[in-house]
Amino acid sequence: MTSRSRAGLVLAVIAGASFCIGPFGLQAITSLTHDSDLSHPGLPGALTLDHYKSAVHEQPFAHIVRNSLVVASAVTLASLAIAAPAAFAIAKLRVRGKSVLLGATLAISMFPPIATVSPLYLALRRVGLLDTLPGLTIPYTTFALPLALWILTGFFQDIPSELYLAARVDGCSMFSAFRKVLLPLAMPGIATAAILTFIFAYNEFLYALTFLSSPDKRTIPVAISLFAGEHTEPWGEIAAASTLATLPLVIVAIIFQRKIVSALTAGSVKG
Amino acid sequence: MTRARSEDTRCYFFVLPAVIVIAAVAVYPMIPAVWISLRRVIVVFHEDHFVGLSNYAFLIHDPRFWTALGNTAYFVLVAVTIELLLGLGFALLLHTSFRGQKFFRVAILIPWAIPTVVSAKMWAWIWNPEYGLVSRLLPGSEMNWLGMPGYAMHAAILVDVWKTAPFVALLLLAGLETIPVDLYKAAIVDGASPLRIFFSITLPLLRPTIVVVLVFRTLDAFRVFDAVYVLTGGGPANTTETLSIYAYKMLMRAGDFGYGSTLAVVTFLCVMAISAIYIRLLGMPTRNIRI
Amino acid sequence: MKGAYLRTCCAPRSLRFFLRCVLVFSSRGGTRRPAPKKRGFSGSPLHAWLASLAVKYAPRAPRKKPRPRVARDGSQTRPVASALLVFIAVGVIEQGCTRASGSDDAGKIHIVFKHRPLVGNASVFRERLADFRRAHPEVELTTEVLPNVADITHQYYFTALAARSRDIDVFVADIIWIHEFSRAGFLRDLSSEFPPADIKRDFIEGAADAVIADGRTFAVPLYIDVGLLYYRTDLVPQPPRTYDELEAFAKTAKYKDPSLSGYVWQARQYEGLICNGFESIWGHGGVTTQGDRVTLDTPEARAGLDFLRGLIVHGTSPASVTSAMEEESRRVFEQGRAVFMRNWPYAWTEMQKEESPVRGKVGVAPLPTITGDPGFSALGGGELVINAAAPESHLAASIDLVRTLTSLDANIAFAIANGQPPPRKAAYEDERLKTQAPFIASLEPVVVRARPRPVTAYYNMISDVMESEFSAIVTGIRTTPVAFGRAQMAIDRITQ
Repeated sequence: MTSRSRAGLVLAVIAGASFCIGPFGLQAITSLTHDSDLSHPGLPGALTLDHYKSAVHEQPFAHIVRNSLVVASAVTLASLAIAAPAAFAIAKLRVRGKSVLLGATLAISMFPPIATVSPLYLALRRVGLLDTLPGLTIPYTTFALPLALWILTGFFQDIPSELYLAARVDGCSMFSAFRKVLLPLAMPGIATAAILTFIFAYNEFLYALTFLSSPDKRTIPVAISLFAGEHTEPWGEIAAASTLATLPLVIVAIIFQRKIVSALTAGSVKG
Repeated sequence: MTRARSEDTRCYFFVLPAVIVIAAVAVYPMIPAVWISLRRVIVVFHEDHFVGLSNYAFLIHDPRFWTALGNTAYFVLVAVTIELLLGLGFALLLHTSFRGQKFFRVAILIPWAIPTVVSAKMWAWIWNPEYGLVSRLLPGSEMNWLGMPGYAMHAAILVDVWKTAPFVALLLLAGLETIPVDLYKAAIVDGASPLRIFFSITLPLLRPTIVVVLVFRTLDAFRVFDAVYVLTGGGPANTTETLSIYAYKMLMRAGDFGYGSTLAVVTFLCVMAISAIYIRLLGMPTRNIRI
Repeated sequence: MKGAYLRTCCAPRSLRFFLRCVLVFSSRGGTRRPAPKKRGFSGSPLHAWLASLAVKYAPRAPRKKPRPRVARDGSQTRPVASALLVFIAVGVIEQGCTRASGSDDAGKIHIVFKHRPLVGNASVFRERLADFRRAHPEVELTTEVLPNVADITHQYYFTALAARSRDIDVFVADIIWIHEFSRAGFLRDLSSEFPPADIKRDFIEGAADAVIADGRTFAVPLYIDVGLLYYRTDLVPQPPRTYDELEAFAKTAKYKDPSLSGYVWQARQYEGLICNGFESIWGHGGVTTQGDRVTLDTPEARAGLDFLRGLIVHGTSPASVTSAMEEESRRVFEQGRAVFMRNWPYAWTEMQKEESPVRGKVGVAPLPTITGDPGFSALGGGELVINAAAPESHLAASIDLVRTLTSLDANIAFAIANGQPPPRKAAYEDERLKTQAPFIASLEPVVVRARPRPVTAYYNMISDVMESEFSAIVTGIRTTPVAFGRAQMAIDRITQ
């Protein structure tokens, strides 16, 4: 690589990274700034951890993060468990109505969520799942399904059919061929879908607010929205809480990112 | 023959869970919404009766609807284009190896990881004409982005781009990584220029992923709510009101469930039409499936 | 490796939770009454399934030997996934248990009180609730907080109440929702416990009007909010009484220090703009309701909105007001960068804090008018209401909760702790308020002149229309006659 293109690369990386984390960094600085310095133009004088203290003090933050993690993990697992076999079947098996299924899944994510809130509320109440975490997990899973299904279908498609057929000839059942041969090869896709689904469920606000009411079931976006007073906006605490809330996601992202990379470097066969 | 048929039936077990979930959970709330859109339902006035298509007839002559549709279309067009280009750039960057690549991979996910409500507030803070970052960096330029018609929409687009370019990048990166390295090696041996390689190998092989990205980004952008609502509330003077915000205000603020549902159904139909066009133009993401 | 690590991490915790749940269930199993349907998660098949999952995974996990792994990647999915499953199942079951133990089973009346996040000194509010709990040992009181963003909370209540939810007993409603909710049949008629005549006698006029619909009481005021003019005592000789004075004072101050803004207020497209707009219309002599009809398109109203637009055009107000809400204005004023500000009483509390740069340099006055008389403030505030669909057996306790929180003593205690004006007239004469919260006590003349925004069932519909037209005027997109014409037409269509 020439030194000029190397310099270009470095510049691009720096520009990209600062575009992505710049505002987040600003938020982190805000969370460490005294209230009185917040509306000053210029950099803060002294840093403080007060906002973190009061953010954690006012609400059971560990519990709230746990709720969000439970829901997001459940949604990720469930939607992948449902989407992966379906995607495999669509890509590799002779299933009739493939395009109808793909189209229908797509259609469900086309409805503005606000119009589904009332009917879902009634339905959840009827089955007694209002104000429970499963009551949130089920709709999330459904609305996360289309993306997972579409991503995975593409990935299964890219795996050569010969591999599947070879596994069948070797005596694998349809399911074990899927699980032992194709699933590991689709890992980059699974990890990608997992990250995107996880974050979607972690951050959803509208359903979480409407379907959960008891304080011990609150999820992070709802908890953050509770910091605001009727007119006041304690920006320091909000920034502190959302910085804290981002940490678990970064950890999850690192785990799944490693999956993407390791699956690729394992030298799997590609078409 | 018998074997094939038994395979055929058994393979439906793989799609069964997906079908059940879609039918039971997803379609369920849509049916009442469509039904209500054919009624006049205003809870406050205890009104609830069938009116056929008159909500839809009103919609055709509702200038606010057309403004909202125009705003939404503009938002989608600009935001999704920029996101796709930017995301592709990020993905290509991530695909080359350099020191600190792992760090960049995680860094790029951060915007996607912050709840939209918070990130919109964060940007509102950055743009604040009196004490925001922009006025700190450029003292004297008290641009009021959010309060000026014409500018506010672009401010909202920037938030959406910032927030979702990582989503696009991640998907495209996963697509890039399935392109066999051998193809590139062969092209380099043949002496193809990097630009040529990009247009003849990368882009065509990335097409299925691009379709997925385009479809899903458009779906989401067309229903954009949080980012704009927190930033501007639809203002000034409804110049940033999108279809979702209009539907939200009709449903939950005015309590006009009938017309609100009509707006939701129409949004749904618009999105459906757009995805159909995409798929018609670019093909399904999977090569052997025709629609 | 990772899987094994996760497993060892999760197992003891999950086992503990699991055992706890088993204990809770077995102890409840024999005596459980058939159907408290209300929060019935505990008996659902799903719950049983999850419990069986926990049985399957939790105890066995630590005993499992690491099985030989296929050398392919992705083989780790299994342990990671099962660890996750345990984690989820445990989380879910634990949630189920907490709720189950909180339902009506124990023979107690379970009252759910939903309110806004507490401001100021929250302990005073909690003490009141503790008093209530002591007085009602038969009641189990649960408090649940909802966000303060008015639209979102309105949406929550609308969804829940339209579905005739029984899970809410008492809640805090915004002043502008009462007539809408009562008309929709969401609120219990409280006329026999709080007769309209008493409400009118005890509470300030605007607040009483807001809670009485068709001669019946549907809510009891908890606190009120009024628009005030904040001014800098070091920059202005005296508070301006007329709009001309306000502009002249601002001009003089700006002449001395060009970096200052003159007058900051709230003109983002939201409910606050309507308050600012109405205050200006009233200040120009306008009347916004005639009988049942909301009259918007009057010469006075046009003058009111033209004045607001003029503030921006003449440079008295910075262009940034068109995207400002309360906090944006407050921060600018508090940094000493504006001469005047329109805001609610909460800003006073903020500006008295030690780190506030303008502490001791701020005065508060009634809003100006065109004639020089004290102006009319838009009246805001919160009301306590009872859900009409709540179980009848909860009513007595719910009413007592409302009584406890809206008594004169409670009024005064909250005003002192939170800096929100009390709605009861008598509170302003009380010595405790005068000595401990003199600022609030001094607001009496403003409070009694405060006017509610149009009190109708369809207020939310018309506010949606007015918001965008007011915004169009102040940003210069439409002229007042055009915008008012459009607004009046839309309002008439709704109210026909």
